[in-house]
Amino acid sequence: MKLATRRRLSALGVLAPPLLWTLLFMFVPYAIMFTYSFYRKEFPIFIPDFQFGNYLQLIQDSQYYTVFFRTLKIAAAVAVAAVALAYPLAYFLVFKIRSPSLRAALYMAVIVPLWVSYLLRAYTWKTILGSEGVLNSFLVWSGILEGPTDLLLYNQFAVVLTLTYIFIPFVVMPVYTALEKIPRNLIEASQDLGVGPLRTFLGVTLPLSIPGILAGATFAFCLTFGDFVAPVLVGGPSGTMIANVIQSQFGIALNWPLGAALSIVVLIIVLSIISASDRLERAGRLNLG
Amino acid sequence: MTNIIEIAGLAKTFPGGIRAVDGVSLEIRAGEFVTLLGPSGCGKTTILRLIAGFETPDAGRILLGGRDVTDDPPYRRPVNTVFQDYALFPHMTVGQNVGYGLRISGVPRAETADRIATTLRMVDLLEKIDSMPAQLSGGQRQRVALARAIIRQPKVLLLDEPLSALDVKLREAMQVELMHLHEKLGITFLLVTHDQREALVMSDRVVVLSQGRIVQCGTPAELYDRPATPYVADFIGTSNLMRATVAAIEGDEVLATAGLHRLRGAAHGRRFQPGDKVLLSIRPEKAALVTDGSAAEPGANLIEARVTEHLFHGHALRMELDIGQAAPFIVDLQLSAAVETLRLPQTGGRVAIAVPPANVMVFPAEAQP
Amino acid sequence: MKRRTAGWLYGSIVGLAIVAAGGASAVAGELNFLGWEGYADESFVKEFESATGCKVTATYVGSNDDFAPKLASGGGVYDIVSVSADTTGVLVAAGLVEPLDMSKIEHWNDIYELFRNAKGINRDGQVYGVPLTWGSIPLMYRTDKITEEPDSYAVLWDERYKGKIALWDDKSAIFNTARLLGYDNVYSLTDEQLEAVKQKLIEEKPLLRKYWSTAGELINLYASGEVWISNTWGGYQVAELQKQGIPVKEFLPKEKADGWADNWMIVKGSPNQDCAYQYINFTTSARGQCGISSVTGYSAANPVAAKACMTSEEFEAKHQDDIDYVDSLVMWEQPDRLDVYTNTWNAIKGAE
Repeated sequence: MKLATRRRLSALGVLAPPLLWTLLFMFVPYAIMFTYSFYRKEFPIFIPDFQFGNYLQLIQDSQYYTVFFRTLKIAAAVAVAAVALAYPLAYFLVFKIRSPSLRAALYMAVIVPLWVSYLLRAYTWKTILGSEGVLNSFLVWSGILEGPTDLLLYNQFAVVLTLTYIFIPFVVMPVYTALEKIPRNLIEASQDLGVGPLRTFLGVTLPLSIPGILAGATFAFCLTFGDFVAPVLVGGPSGTMIANVIQSQFGIALNWPLGAALSIVVLIIVLSIISASDRLERAGRLNLG
Repeated sequence: MTNIIEIAGLAKTFPGGIRAVDGVSLEIRAGEFVTLLGPSGCGKTTILRLIAGFETPDAGRILLGGRDVTDDPPYRRPVNTVFQDYALFPHMTVGQNVGYGLRISGVPRAETADRIATTLRMVDLLEKIDSMPAQLSGGQRQRVALARAIIRQPKVLLLDEPLSALDVKLREAMQVELMHLHEKLGITFLLVTHDQREALVMSDRVVVLSQGRIVQCGTPAELYDRPATPYVADFIGTSNLMRATVAAIEGDEVLATAGLHRLRGAAHGRRFQPGDKVLLSIRPEKAALVTDGSAAEPGANLIEARVTEHLFHGHALRMELDIGQAAPFIVDLQLSAAVETLRLPQTGGRVAIAVPPANVMVFPAEAQP
Repeated sequence: MKRRTAGWLYGSIVGLAIVAAGGASAVAGELNFLGWEGYADESFVKEFESATGCKVTATYVGSNDDFAPKLASGGGVYDIVSVSADTTGVLVAAGLVEPLDMSKIEHWNDIYELFRNAKGINRDGQVYGVPLTWGSIPLMYRTDKITEEPDSYAVLWDERYKGKIALWDDKSAIFNTARLLGYDNVYSLTDEQLEAVKQKLIEEKPLLRKYWSTAGELINLYASGEVWISNTWGGYQVAELQKQGIPVKEFLPKEKADGWADNWMIVKGSPNQDCAYQYINFTTSARGQCGISSVTGYSAANPVAAKACMTSEEFEAKHQDDIDYVDSLVMWEQPDRLDVYTNTWNAIKGAE
């Protein structure tokens, strides 16, 4: 056997397990899902077919884009809110905490909630936002409100708040990394050129941290887009998100073909957002040289 | 002439107890080219950063143009810095980098564009005005950094090891360019470097630092010919150092014994007593070799030696000689028409080193550094 | 029907409980049960195992919607399922369950006729299910917050209780609302009727605090003061809340409340049919009926057996002797156009 051939074969041997893994656990499920999306619902279950009725139904029935639009809106709100809250936190950690050990400890404090159950953290907000919850009790006690308000829980606001809280660590991490990567002497150079702290932030720090912001916002957006727990736990009667509809199609409605078609649409949306953000991020990285 | 920079009693200790700057006072006249020279960790960069405002001193004052700026933030000081690794903004073009300070301080657009062009022309980079820093070579980035720092016409230009990242040829060319720029702009340059050659070539005055203190401050010639301490003698150029004991004082000459050798040296006004421990310092290029058939200068010290190593440097030949001391004695010979390599003593050959007493510097032994 | 566990979250698999074979009796067979928690409780299963030699292995579901997907994908694993009457028809139509050999069913004639004749378990002259337990879906309210005694589903549209109303996240809301709108054909609504029901339920959304999914969730909503009035699973939540000192009361609306009944069905192709029939007979006997009823709190489908084993207070509390009560319920059936109903309910939930 030629050496080159042998080398190619051994390279294949090294690559085969991860390839097989990806094929088995990524492409095969997606392929199955894709196939199902062309099946036909026929009472009581569904039958194999190749037709576009499921996709057509998504276009014709307005309930789906109501939910799609709402999901997009909530995901965008979560992404914006999470960035708005995570950015100052990451900035503070990177630029204002001088002691490396304290910085590491605070960073961990931000990340540690990721190890706490999602459900537990979502439930915590229920006890805070409820009619007889901590926040309402405080507002009434302090005299800001005369009686408890229902506006805090079981609506889209509560969903956005809960998901923002849950996904903040996912935004802090990339923003922190992006800020940490900015050479300190760029900020010094800006100040050296007579530019004050605020303009330095706007002119140097912020543009150079955009890759981190994009990555964080993409995390928050995509994770929210596929979430189905928060709407059930803290969402109101008008808080159904797309993942809840998919869940119901695979469960109660026994309409796997429609559920599969919905999943494919979600997959396309999420993938295009990820690739768009990736492209933007790469453009930004090119600038960093 | 007025002093553009006045530093008095400057001190800075970093967390961990490192005294980076330990009571430094310095005056720099307007238009001077001054170099802070010393090995890494001597505090030279910290002094520069204190002047720029990136660090705050624990004690002491900094006056720029007669104004106390000790408590001013960097963006209110009339100085600009060329950073060691240039610190160009990676997300801006060359033109945007250079014009950044002007644009934000509200200089009219047309004037900014004008000044960017003028400054880039000065550093010969006008054609790169729309390039990104990542597309430039090291030397080009260096010039952009320079252009960005001089466009605001600062009273003082601070240069933090600006040439250290360049290769030798480029570095020498940039040294000349910097000197020309200094002449053209007429502003004060304060350079930080660990390269004594760079310091000697470019500066009007050199400040030698060690462990956060100023050891000596003077023109390159003064430092070279009259080093204040063996440390300076060794740091500026090269020196053969020998421990010795004063045997006798004869006018301005000191007679000292170093092992088996008896040498006559110049006191240069320093006072010694017989019996004092001293250090003798002899520059390698200020010693000559006496071989068969050549005569030593009258009155010169003669040291018996054996050649141990030839180091060929092209324009010069460095010889290491064993004179019965721990360290080898180094002699540099300029290779010119008068010196024929072939007639030089070979390794193992016996020779005598001839040094006139004026070229043997005598320092008190405890004066280290 | 047993939805006490918060099963919805984990979808299909709630847990797997293996009931150890009791005593020294030889194992003559096995029985794999898929269904609601409580229908194979250790308190009475051990007795069954030592008597018959059938070893019972139980897998629990969190929702009636779990049966069809599980049986469709994992055939051959389960022998017997406990399914509510609105879902039985789907399993029959999908061919996932066997018609029963009625000669092997011992207590059939003692069971309430209403449940025996349910559409969901009868098809083409064949019987597919044996009723086991039953209950109602009444309305429940906080007596300290709502002083004016309600008597109709209309109270769920009462502006005075805006933000304090909850509704079960289930298509049965369509049945109730159809009756409120005066339609009698709740399981065969026309498109126009369905549209009217949909609009009525969308109209209700601004008044709602939450669509509730599990018993535990509804109990929390009442206990934390979020909700004052809602529908409920008869008997269970009200008892739990009263235990916590929350003043709540159930009532059957004048439009009639929904009723439900759970049924045993045998999975198609089950190799353990003998054990399956033995278990059906055991659980519909006095021992089994009271065993299940005391664990779950549900009413027994066999009043003869219930009479034999319940105290008279319990017998009365569970409406075992009250045929009028059973008649006052509208028993769940599978709607003629299940897909359309499901889609309508999804559209209502998805609407703004």
